[in-house]
Amino acid sequence: MPPETTPLIEIANLRVRFHTPTRIVEAVRGLSFTLGREKLAIVGESGSGKSMTGRAILDLVPWPGEVLADRLAFRGEDLATMDRARRRALRGRRISMVLQDPKFSLNPVMSVGRQIAEAYRTHHRAGAAEARERALAMLEAVQIREPGRVYDLYPHEVSGGMGQRVMIAMMLIGEPDVLIADEPTSALDVTVQAQILDILDRLVTERGMGLIFISHDLPLVSAFCDRVIVMYAGRVMETLDARSLHQGRHPYTRGLLGCLPDLDLPKPRLATLTRDPAWTEA
Amino acid sequence: MLRTGSEKAAMPDNGPAPMIGVEGLNVRFGSAHVLKDVSFRVAAGESYGLVGESGSGKSTVLRVLSGLNPSWSGRVGIAGAALRHRPPKSFFRQVQMVFQDPFGSLHPRMTIDAILAEPLAIHGIGDADRRIERALADVGLDGGFRFRYPHQLSGGQRQRVAIARALILEPSVLLLDEPTSALDVSIQAEVLNLLQDLKSRRDLTMLLVSHNLAVVGHMCGRVGVMNRGVIVEEADIAELRETGGRNPYTRELVAASRRVSLGAGAA
Amino acid sequence: MTTSPTSAPARGLRAYLTAENPASRRQAQLGQFYRQWRALRANPLALIGLVIVVALLAVAALAPWIAPHDPLAQNLGQRLLPPSAAHWMGTDALGRDIFSRILHGTRITLAIVLLVVISVGPIGLLIGTLSGYFGGVVDTVLMRLTDIFLAFPRLVLALAFVAVLGPGIENAVIAIACTAWPPYARVARAETMVIRNADYIAAVRLQGASHLRVVLRHVVPMCVPSVIVRTTLDMAGIILTAAGLGFLGLGAQPPSPEWGAMIASGREYIFDQWWVATFPGLAICLVALGFNLLGDGLRDVLDAR
Repeated sequence: MPPETTPLIEIANLRVRFHTPTRIVEAVRGLSFTLGREKLAIVGESGSGKSMTGRAILDLVPWPGEVLADRLAFRGEDLATMDRARRRALRGRRISMVLQDPKFSLNPVMSVGRQIAEAYRTHHRAGAAEARERALAMLEAVQIREPGRVYDLYPHEVSGGMGQRVMIAMMLIGEPDVLIADEPTSALDVTVQAQILDILDRLVTERGMGLIFISHDLPLVSAFCDRVIVMYAGRVMETLDARSLHQGRHPYTRGLLGCLPDLDLPKPRLATLTRDPAWTEA
Repeated sequence: MLRTGSEKAAMPDNGPAPMIGVEGLNVRFGSAHVLKDVSFRVAAGESYGLVGESGSGKSTVLRVLSGLNPSWSGRVGIAGAALRHRPPKSFFRQVQMVFQDPFGSLHPRMTIDAILAEPLAIHGIGDADRRIERALADVGLDGGFRFRYPHQLSGGQRQRVAIARALILEPSVLLLDEPTSALDVSIQAEVLNLLQDLKSRRDLTMLLVSHNLAVVGHMCGRVGVMNRGVIVEEADIAELRETGGRNPYTRELVAASRRVSLGAGAA
Repeated sequence: MTTSPTSAPARGLRAYLTAENPASRRQAQLGQFYRQWRALRANPLALIGLVIVVALLAVAALAPWIAPHDPLAQNLGQRLLPPSAAHWMGTDALGRDIFSRILHGTRITLAIVLLVVISVGPIGLLIGTLSGYFGGVVDTVLMRLTDIFLAFPRLVLALAFVAVLGPGIENAVIAIACTAWPPYARVARAETMVIRNADYIAAVRLQGASHLRVVLRHVVPMCVPSVIVRTTLDMAGIILTAAGLGFLGLGAQPPSPEWGAMIASGREYIFDQWWVATFPGLAICLVALGFNLLGDGLRDVLDAR
């Protein structure tokens, strides 16, 4: 699938650990994957380590977390040995992240348009007028109907769906090669959700971006992504082609699928998941 | 088990009186007209679902029915009596509610024991020890949880405690406000199964509010679809499954739900 | 409760306190205290504060036994002696041993602080929670009242009260209490406004609880930690106000060894006999610092959840 030979992201044996006074908590335990110009999903339940994986790539693991990896590379460049300043420059410019709730990620005292323009100017040498032009174009690209009006709104004046679009616009204005989206649509209504996914899809196909889509929602990622990594307790249970997710072999994947209610498949009782302690071992 | 002869007599005997009867319910917050002429009936022992997106007014219906929202107009009957704007204490023994967020609905500085003891103390019900133990057992929590604080419990365990709290007064109507949308799917399955078990064991009438059509379809026989403060369509789930709904908005919801379902493949 | 957990039987105690599944209400409560104590213990500054406060309590309790001299015994032949082996902090203008007077002064300071806290905490908490919970007219009336009190500088208002009530330690306490409660009401109100919209409050109301029950049993416990923290941080201010009143001759009356009054009596000699005013000043400083450090530590511990 990737047109170039070097993958956008290579990860080998990634581990994220937290040192607490009493013990060491391992959030991610030996994760490996490569990302090309595709939509890769990481699915799992809370505590599976899926969000920590996204944060580890961006070097955003909170204290007292520790990130270890045999290889952690962006376009063949080793991120672990890269100096801090350069890594910071990559963040936002080349690799961006969209979080679940835009309310916590937007500055409440700056209009959304200015925030997008500022984001542009941090990565490009541009005048205020040019940045504004860019921001307006970006708002249009994420399907906001009246970009001129929305530009001057403050975060509390926009709805959840629009806020999320603004976040995406802000994250994409630097034209990143990789976008990490952590549950970008779980706080949104289904109809709005579909629009946001369309936007993301278009950006991947048109710009050749790589997308890491972190989610708990198996049916959603199956419909939307190209490949799916199923995580449990910090480990990869299996990696699947998204279209064949429903044929997943691993008992955990099967268990997750079995406990979903489905409008078209009424069942008297939902299956529950029996967690096998062996899944957390090698 | 709870309903005594006299309480039963209080309900009209002519015809199957609904356990919840809402007629022409209107709610306004300032200039915003949040509920517009909402009407529906839920029979005793039935499970009824309200689906809709955020801002559709579905949660406002629950707040009115639970007595938390005193400003409304229209005719509302619940558990055999007309709903008053400031319900009397006895009302709350009949109608209870489970909230969406299991992290916000338990008092952070009270042990599970104290949380469950509170409704008993309010209504002057004795025998608290035995009732609390049984309430915990009923929702599948062992006694070891009794003296823990909410922050020592997982989301699913907290939601079980919230259900135990709602049922410890042995109500006849249980209102559920998105009870599983904050939980992982595997935990959601456990909680939904638990609710179904409790419903059949206790002959509860349930009103489930959710944005998730699949969850409502699993739990309820009938569903009301809400959009912008109006019930745009009322349908049997079986009918909805077959026809996809008559109203355009319903069709959109059903389609959206199907788009993200794994369909026959999961069978 | 917080005995050293290092000795042999303490291992059993520790297991009891850290049990995953406490078996009784009491054990759950003690376990909670133990977790908070461990958090406090990890903060060295808070521990220093705690040591100072505990030392203050001990000195106040033991003052008559550890003080080398009678704090009130005058000896004009030994007036204004510099610090020496016989008089560690020297003597004042009437030949009284300053060290003994400071030790005895802890009792007065502590009494003022305790009385103020006992009266101010509950008043502020009640007014604040009622105001925040009910809102509307109740809120407007109570908050305007609070604003009136807040509009005056504390010492000025206390001066006015004392002027009306007459000087003396009891009246100083009343004056300080009357001026100290508004900030507490403000803090409690702000917290209540957030808490009242929480689901757990809606849940208790749904169980049929009366408003009074909701406020007293469910809202107040959530506000108590911040009021405790605010109180400990405020102690310094209370001590300084009391000392200020004493300094101005409106608090404790001579010959009682109140620190503020002692500084006042030393100010005439400040250049030649520095010790008369300095040591009570240092005592005020130290105690105020102790309460402040402890309050800071408590804030981290109690606000954790």
